[in-house]
Amino acid sequence: MYQPVASREVRYGDLDLWPTRLKTGFWAWLLHRITGLLMVFYLFLHIIVISSVLWGTGSFDAVMDVLKKPVFAAGEMLLVSAVIYHGLNGIRVILFDVGIGIKNQKALFWAAFALAVVGFFWALKVFWPLIFG
Amino acid sequence: MSIEMKQRPEKIRLNVYRFDPEVDKAPRIDSFDVPWVDGMTVLDTLFYVLEKRDGSLAFRYSCREGICGACAMYINGSHRLACETQVARLLDEGHAEVRVMPLPHLPVIKDLVVDMTRFWENYEAIAPWIVTRSADPEKEHLQSPEDRKLVDEYVGCILCGSCFSSCPSVWTGKEYLGPNALMKTWRWVADTRDSAAEERLGLVGNERGAWRCHTVFNCVEACPKDINQTTAIQGLKRRTVGAMLRGSKALKAGRKALER
Repeated sequence: MYQPVASREVRYGDLDLWPTRLKTGFWAWLLHRITGLLMVFYLFLHIIVISSVLWGTGSFDAVMDVLKKPVFAAGEMLLVSAVIYHGLNGIRVILFDVGIGIKNQKALFWAAFALAVVGFFWALKVFWPLIFG
Repeated sequence: MSIEMKQRPEKIRLNVYRFDPEVDKAPRIDSFDVPWVDGMTVLDTLFYVLEKRDGSLAFRYSCREGICGACAMYINGSHRLACETQVARLLDEGHAEVRVMPLPHLPVIKDLVVDMTRFWENYEAIAPWIVTRSADPEKEHLQSPEDRKLVDEYVGCILCGSCFSSCPSVWTGKEYLGPNALMKTWRWVADTRDSAAEERLGLVGNERGAWRCHTVFNCVEACPKDINQTTAIQGLKRRTVGAMLRGSKALKAGRKALER
């Protein structure tokens, strides 16, 4: 097999190779990844918080009191939004696996994203009194 | 209807990526002023530099009509064929200057020439030739126009490497076959003359193949021939699941079953 004498991979840093070509599909995937990782992070957090009951109901209640703070309510609201987007885009990806809408992937993304925005405002309405009330 | 000629500049600024890993510590951009010629392509501007300004500029080209796939480059932030990209079109897109870079995420050998070894190795790995179980016909394997339509889009691939260079799974997974090799696998799986579909699925139905595609669609955006690789890769996933559920033994046949 041919081997060049010397070669180096071209990376983002090499004289503005930042890809402007990244379009809808890439951002849909990136957002899917980020929200997915957030949910994994939350899962561990959830297990740690719930396991406080091992030290008795008093310790559990103490932890729950801390979680009533507005900053945690705001976090929960963002989590709900992330779950909604991840779920909707997940349906989009499942459709691709079944072979539906591959050529209309951009329209499907915007539909999922629009519904996720609606979901965000719904979550904001529900969590508003907990965050600011 | 008359053709409206737009006012064009007398010369155009060309910025080219220059890098010789044997000599240079870091890449640089060289700028050249190229006199305007109507109908000029980006490849023409590179020829102008090569002939009149700097003979050490290295780039690949061959057919000059978008069928050999040698001159795929990263031009003004998109994957394009230099020979098919009109400089006038770049101006119409709003670019003031032409900016030519090698294909991203591939090792640079010199200037715009990238190392495509991995791309070709992956293409070779999927056995891109017809495999038949029946006796060879006297002349050729006949195919109806309807059957040919199933693979029309994928036969149009010119192996330029744009999709391979644009795929995040290729950037991060050094073992991944890439959108081109997978699309070409589907080209043979979907071909009605080929009789080794499940053996082929066995080669790509793993984490090195179709399952590493996360439907990012960068390949579809990058392809200069408007091929929809994702349709092909999703087809591979569906057919692989089907074959696995049926308990097909051909899936485990391996690459040797496809040797001629």
